[in-house]
Amino acid sequence: MTDHKSQGVFSAKVTSNRRIRACFWTMDLEFTGVGAQAYARFQPGQFVEVDVSNLGLPPEELIAPELRDAVRRNILLRRPFSFADVTVETNRTTAELLYCVLGPASVRLTTLSRGDSLSVLGPLGHGFRVPPGKRLALLVVGGMGAPPIQCLAKLLRTEYAGTHVIAFIGAKTAASLPFAGEFDGMPERIDSFIPAFAKYGIASAVTTDDGSAGRRGFVTERLAQWLDEQRDWLPEQTIIYACGPEPMLAATARLAVERNIDCQVSTERRMACGIGVCQSCAIECRVEGSDETAYRLCCQDGPVFDARTVVFDD
Amino acid sequence: MKSPIINPQSSILSVDFAGLRLANPVFTASGTCGYAEELADFMDVNRLGGFITKSITRRPRQGNPTPRIVETDAGMLNAIGLANVGLDRFVAEKLPVIAQMSVPVFVNVAGERIEDYVAVTERLAGEPAIAGFELNISCPNVAKGGISFGRDPEQVAGITAAVRRAAGRKVLMVKLSPCVTDISVIARAAVQAGADALSLINTFTAMVIDIETRTPALANRTGGLSGPAVKPIAVYLVNKVYNDVAKKAGIPLLGLGGIRTASDAIEFMLAGASAVAIGTASFSRPDSAVQIIDGIADYCARHQVARIADLVGSLR
Repeated sequence: MTDHKSQGVFSAKVTSNRRIRACFWTMDLEFTGVGAQAYARFQPGQFVEVDVSNLGLPPEELIAPELRDAVRRNILLRRPFSFADVTVETNRTTAELLYCVLGPASVRLTTLSRGDSLSVLGPLGHGFRVPPGKRLALLVVGGMGAPPIQCLAKLLRTEYAGTHVIAFIGAKTAASLPFAGEFDGMPERIDSFIPAFAKYGIASAVTTDDGSAGRRGFVTERLAQWLDEQRDWLPEQTIIYACGPEPMLAATARLAVERNIDCQVSTERRMACGIGVCQSCAIECRVEGSDETAYRLCCQDGPVFDARTVVFDD
Repeated sequence: MKSPIINPQSSILSVDFAGLRLANPVFTASGTCGYAEELADFMDVNRLGGFITKSITRRPRQGNPTPRIVETDAGMLNAIGLANVGLDRFVAEKLPVIAQMSVPVFVNVAGERIEDYVAVTERLAGEPAIAGFELNISCPNVAKGGISFGRDPEQVAGITAAVRRAAGRKVLMVKLSPCVTDISVIARAAVQAGADALSLINTFTAMVIDIETRTPALANRTGGLSGPAVKPIAVYLVNKVYNDVAKKAGIPLLGLGGIRTASDAIEFMLAGASAVAIGTASFSRPDSAVQIIDGIADYCARHQVARIADLVGSLR
């Protein structure tokens, strides 16, 4: 049983829904009543399951040509998303849903506009935990892994102001950075380039696979180099938080274990229910105190796990 | 003195099911509602007509590698592989929660060999919290046992008779696979061997292929198709088993397969199901079953149905 008693199916009101650029969109949702209370306790890294089964397709000319075939089929299951921002106000809680249009469900989300409602199941799972005594937090983002890390960045800035935070952000190309702005030819140095993190006073180190923005290479290589360059830092006072594609999580976890740094990874699995009944989102984990492994559920035991727990494919 | 408040739904919706008095004809289907505790935040499980647990096997099962599910047009494939906590942990951890429920609970029993089914059933047959067993001889996603029992009428008779002896006075329901040449032959074998009720249908063995990678979408390669896509076939098979076997034998059917709405549920009842189970729909709407119960009550009011049982098999 989860320890979040106030989860449920809540109707959220859409207050805005707009394209940031390329395939990236951002939707603002408003929860009121019991929903507002439930989401006031939202932890960064928790997720929701949204119902798009009753939404239609946008007009064909608004659908990217490469998606027109794939998006035709109907939607049955909810889709999991993690919020990029949650703001608690009097009598309402607002949340930012950052999404990438890449299939039949996400393309339907683009048809929502101000005043529409969306059925949201959640908050679900366990988010990031901030252990005591950490003076340095290193955020590692791969592409669409950004939203839960953005949400965590806000928490670190507002409630752990003494912690120094740096964001290491990787993507395939400048165009696949899921943020508003122009990133082509962005310099390699660590600076306030990414507004989504800069607004919390957090500098970013950007890498792209093709070098079109920031340094060419993988984000984990950049993180390793940065750690190698540091002189006066203590691994036990440092923590790494990561969300992105599984190979990136695996490399981050390996690096953290080698250097004896605490690390939490936000994982992803194909899931149906989000509440632990369908058993589809199994994730292989080490069993504490033994050499054995066991499946745990991404939706309930995760999606955020300690990096030492998860067994990654090599 | 005030007269007791009588829920008008209670007398209209209540049904007899293999000797059990159910408050209404709506169950949750095995494998879609866990062990009930998972649903507590979303639905009052005590409003159900009955509850069926996830499959229990003698030993814990980790289940199949991922991906275990894939969505299809109007359905989904699953290949979970009977992942469950096993008999011992079920008794220690899940049964006490189930014992708090006021609705009849069926334990879905699975295994690789007849002895496995018997062992699980024997261990649970004395538990007052359990109303009956649902014998899973129709899981398409395991290498041994499962559907291999459910395709051959002699094996169906053998396993049903063995579990019947182990089940004592509990209700024994046998869950049928649609992946057979003639489902009525299998249904008859189960009834003659002592089944008190039949549930149908389990999922259809199916496959989805990723054309970019030219590999199956599921790690198990194949999975069981469920959801709205299967509903018309399920209605047909319920009607067939009702006409061929159940009506004559006086055996109740639990109809399932793609039910999302009260109208779907009523279709199954008209076809011959005494009760229905909600499966895949619960994944998108965890309280689907309760909404369907309310919808059935509305239908009864609209059509002046005095007792929901009058609908069963009343297809003209």
